[in-house]
Amino acid sequence: MIALLRLALRNLVRARRRTLLTGGTMALGTAALVLGSGVADGISRQLVSGLVTTQTGHLQVVARPLDFEPQNSPFDAYSQERLPGAVELARRIETEGAAVGVQRAVPLLYARGTAIAGNRTTLASIIGIDVPREADLLAAAPAVAGVPLPPGDPLAVYVSQAMARKLRLQPGDSVSFVVQTPQGAVNSGDGVVCGVFRKGAPWHENAFYVPLAAAQALMDWPGDATSVRVLLARSGEGALFEAQAAISALVARSAPPAVAGTRVRVETHRQAGRFFFSIIQANQTALVVLSSFLFLAAAVGVVNSMLMSVHERTREIGTVRALGMRRGVVVQMFVMEGLVLGLLSAAAGLLAGSAVVLYLGARGIAMNTLTLAWLAGGDRLWPVLRAASMGRAALAIALLSTLAALYPARVASRLEPREALHHV
Amino acid sequence: MSRLLLLALLAAPAAPPDPTALLQRAEKAVLGENAVYTMRMGVQRPGKPERVVEMKGFKKGDERGLLRYTDPPKERGTAYLRVAGSTWLWLPSAEKAVRVGAKQNFGGGDFSNGDIFRLSLSRDYVATLAGAESALGQECWKLELKARDRSVAYDRVLMWVRRDGTDFPVRIEYFTLSGRKLKWLTFSDVGRLGAHTRPRLLVMESALESGQRTELRFLTIDDNPRLEDRLFTPSALERGE
Repeated sequence: MIALLRLALRNLVRARRRTLLTGGTMALGTAALVLGSGVADGISRQLVSGLVTTQTGHLQVVARPLDFEPQNSPFDAYSQERLPGAVELARRIETEGAAVGVQRAVPLLYARGTAIAGNRTTLASIIGIDVPREADLLAAAPAVAGVPLPPGDPLAVYVSQAMARKLRLQPGDSVSFVVQTPQGAVNSGDGVVCGVFRKGAPWHENAFYVPLAAAQALMDWPGDATSVRVLLARSGEGALFEAQAAISALVARSAPPAVAGTRVRVETHRQAGRFFFSIIQANQTALVVLSSFLFLAAAVGVVNSMLMSVHERTREIGTVRALGMRRGVVVQMFVMEGLVLGLLSAAAGLLAGSAVVLYLGARGIAMNTLTLAWLAGGDRLWPVLRAASMGRAALAIALLSTLAALYPARVASRLEPREALHHV
Repeated sequence: MSRLLLLALLAAPAAPPDPTALLQRAEKAVLGENAVYTMRMGVQRPGKPERVVEMKGFKKGDERGLLRYTDPPKERGTAYLRVAGSTWLWLPSAEKAVRVGAKQNFGGGDFSNGDIFRLSLSRDYVATLAGAESALGQECWKLELKARDRSVAYDRVLMWVRRDGTDFPVRIEYFTLSGRKLKWLTFSDVGRLGAHTRPRLLVMESALESGQRTELRFLTIDDNPRLEDRLFTPSALERGE
């Protein structure tokens, strides 16, 4: 084996230019795969963490209409239906759910209405949150002006950059909301902008965060909300389903009856945010297609390079065959050459690809168009380097190189020593 | 002696009217039980040209109403239908009737669908007399209307009704649940239209968005039309009857 390895290395060094070209192609392919995986993993992380942190939590208790059909929209995760006794329900889930890993259970009230400032108006998503307990959510929407919602200020409004621009709002300005309550009455409320948050995912462009009590007063729902966000200590599938079952039982046991025409459900973030997971799936499919083309190109390169190697070394193969080398050993010699070439290329590609991913992960990639922002779940994408993705890329390239060497190896092993020795 | 008695009677303040009866009379001041009418709506927004549309409307009792756009040509055929608690919008370009909320704005203006097709204020509100006041230069009774329940669009409404025996409304103010004034409606240009004298211009102004107002001017009114129920169905809306 050591001899074969040494032979493979010697042959690769001897045909330096060819090795560099073939290996370079494969290294580039590996780097492209690592980069592609980094981007896909970045999108996946961004979408899932955005969903969990700002919308659903790992699980959410929510009221849905009896005929609810998801529209494959980011707003599916929110419900506008009233969840009776949500504040008390959140407290019970947090107290009694500790055994199944519940860290926090917080009510959230999502409503749609109109925001008015001066003589400008816009449609608004008004999101009432339990300010002292939503530090993670507010951290996910960092302030570009002013400050995030301060605890204890009932009039504070934290507005998205897009809305601030549209309504010409700055910290300290007044803003009014008009909503139609689910019962049918028109209601209004006033607030003062405490801060403007950075425009992130396009579906948060219309967002106005307000204290939960203000949203409850606006919707005429004291003590109620539209969902309870549950955050778990562990988010693996097993822990998620265990907590879902336990909370469903608790809800069935102790939640007030649902409003007529709705039913209360406990949804995992994956169930609530199908839109986001369909984007992730689409990205992964695109990555598989890209990888297939890269593999095909790399395989053609390896086969071509090895066939040239067989052609150049025909006399040499004839000599070793005449000296008694068996066909199997000739095959092993070329396969080893392919494996070594694959490993070296993968290592070089991993280095280059990782460096690019780390660089982009630190700087971020601007998602300048609305389509890109929808795909990435934000106006900036931070690729991430994951060991599993790197391992997959390296293994795939090394395996491909080895398998691609099989055909030239077989061609070489079939050379007759007598004819090979006469080859010019 | 008899002359003194007459003077005393004339000088005595008029007996306060029954608020519910006054409200019922006031809400029939513009359109009676049944009517076919045409009107022009002008939507004014700061910094934008006025958007003007003309419509033909049909009203039958307290339950049914239909409005079709007749001008400008590009909007011709658009129609709203209100039957009891449901409102449909027919969009000819989409060839589809969609159900719309009573509280959604009507034709992009400051009236809501409910305001336009408000068929019975006295059904949704409890009226009390809040005194006598002058409004827009007219001596009026002031009515305070409180929504019977929280499903009614405006929790509180103030209404000024002329005391000169005509019972024409002069001004209506609409308030939200939180007590904020949302918009107000004024009735003016009283004159003869069709068989009766009535206010011919209604102007709704937003209290929240300064400079936003919508004018409704009645052009013709037929007070005694024969209207069949089948006119007020979604299928008739689609057929363009």
